[in-house]
Amino acid sequence: MSYSSRLVYLPVAALSVCAPAQALVYMSVEDAQKLTFGEEALTPLALLLSPEQSAAIEKDAGVKVFAGSLRAWKANDGYFFVDAVIGKHDLITYAVALGADGKVRRIEVLEYREAYGGDVRNPRWLAQFKGKQHGDEVQIGEGIQNVSGATLSCEHLTDGIRRLLATYAIAIAQH
Amino acid sequence: MPSPSPSTEIRRARPLLGTLVEIRVDAAGPQAPLHAAVDAAFAAVEHVHRLMSFHEAGSDVSALNREALYRPVRVDAQTWKVLAAARHLSQLSEGAFDIAIGARLQDWGYLPPGPGLIPSEGNWTDIELLQDSRVRFHRPLRIDLGGIAKGYAVDCAIAVLREAGIEAALVNAGGDLRVLGSPQQVQLRHPQNPAFSAHALSLCDEALATSANYYSRRACASGEVSPLLDPRSRQPWLGAASVSVRAADCMRADALTKVVLFAAPEVADRVLEACDAQAYVQNPLEAAA
Repeated sequence: MSYSSRLVYLPVAALSVCAPAQALVYMSVEDAQKLTFGEEALTPLALLLSPEQSAAIEKDAGVKVFAGSLRAWKANDGYFFVDAVIGKHDLITYAVALGADGKVRRIEVLEYREAYGGDVRNPRWLAQFKGKQHGDEVQIGEGIQNVSGATLSCEHLTDGIRRLLATYAIAIAQH
Repeated sequence: MPSPSPSTEIRRARPLLGTLVEIRVDAAGPQAPLHAAVDAAFAAVEHVHRLMSFHEAGSDVSALNREALYRPVRVDAQTWKVLAAARHLSQLSEGAFDIAIGARLQDWGYLPPGPGLIPSEGNWTDIELLQDSRVRFHRPLRIDLGGIAKGYAVDCAIAVLREAGIEAALVNAGGDLRVLGSPQQVQLRHPQNPAFSAHALSLCDEALATSANYYSRRACASGEVSPLLDPRSRQPWLGAASVSVRAADCMRADALTKVVLFAAPEVADRVLEACDAQAYVQNPLEAAA
């Protein structure tokens, strides 16, 4: 082990100065709507996808459609969607606002929950969030820390956005 | 008399640069201008993404990879700045940092394939920076700015927030982060169990970037690989350590993590000195030995 002025070898401490496993709420659904459409009241849209539509969306987006996670609203000049995606290490709820032309006006992460080690798909881990309203403070530990670590890819989030845009094109724009 | 308005914190995140980019500002006064400043900072990150993404066909990086072998290609001033910084760090580190690793990362599935297969022998010395922001390659190669552009994007976001008059902020692009203003605590993930933190640092008007492969190692046809690629041996780095670098700006912090991983310690030390940066290495295997 060498020491020099610029290169410091840190002892690898026993786990947990403080656990950075995070669960944080960035923004409520309402605030994300207001940020995009101002004070305008949005109309909830019932999006019941037929099996044919689901299949078309999966084909178009190249990702699986999960029933039930998507919520949608209509504004005077656009649409607003809230959806959730599950990655290897995290669960992300996000919002996408589209203009009347179908172009993305805003993408905003609403909630982020991290569970390293494959826990994300564990029903018990997921159960703790059941019944939580968007906007509820869900936090692990005291105060949320800033964390530096290897980059966590969020491919599943970009997949989710692609699926959502396909859903708009197939289930809304064509009707 | 109006009482001084309390300080509010705004914390927002968007998927950009292949990761989650988080912006956090702390300021007094109404929220609307703060949101506008954060929107502008995200727009700066998006702009860097559009210019420097390997994935986007319209980016400068894609144009270079397609055409710079055949003719000089003019790039945006921001891309030029990153290319010049990359070249400088390649020179200083004797090639331990190198952006000409795109073809190998394609082979390993970390970057999308095509167009066509090219030999992966070209390196940073084959990238010529010409007058008027033009660039020419002298051997077939593909650049990937994944090891430096994320840090640069963080710097751009911080610059926008500062210009908007915000005095306290933090921008974190998947672990590469920079603090504007007053000291903030930053946790370093434990290299063997990244759900936990092993150390905490306090940063004030500084940046910190970390490289490790606990999230990104995987198997491919040629064995186990990682996106951390030793540019000279062309072998994946599969070590258990995590390297964090603290520097004045995030672009250099980001690139310097690769210098520390791949340069000889005395070379790394010299480069860190030249950049006035500090590296922290957490190596669980060495600690256990």
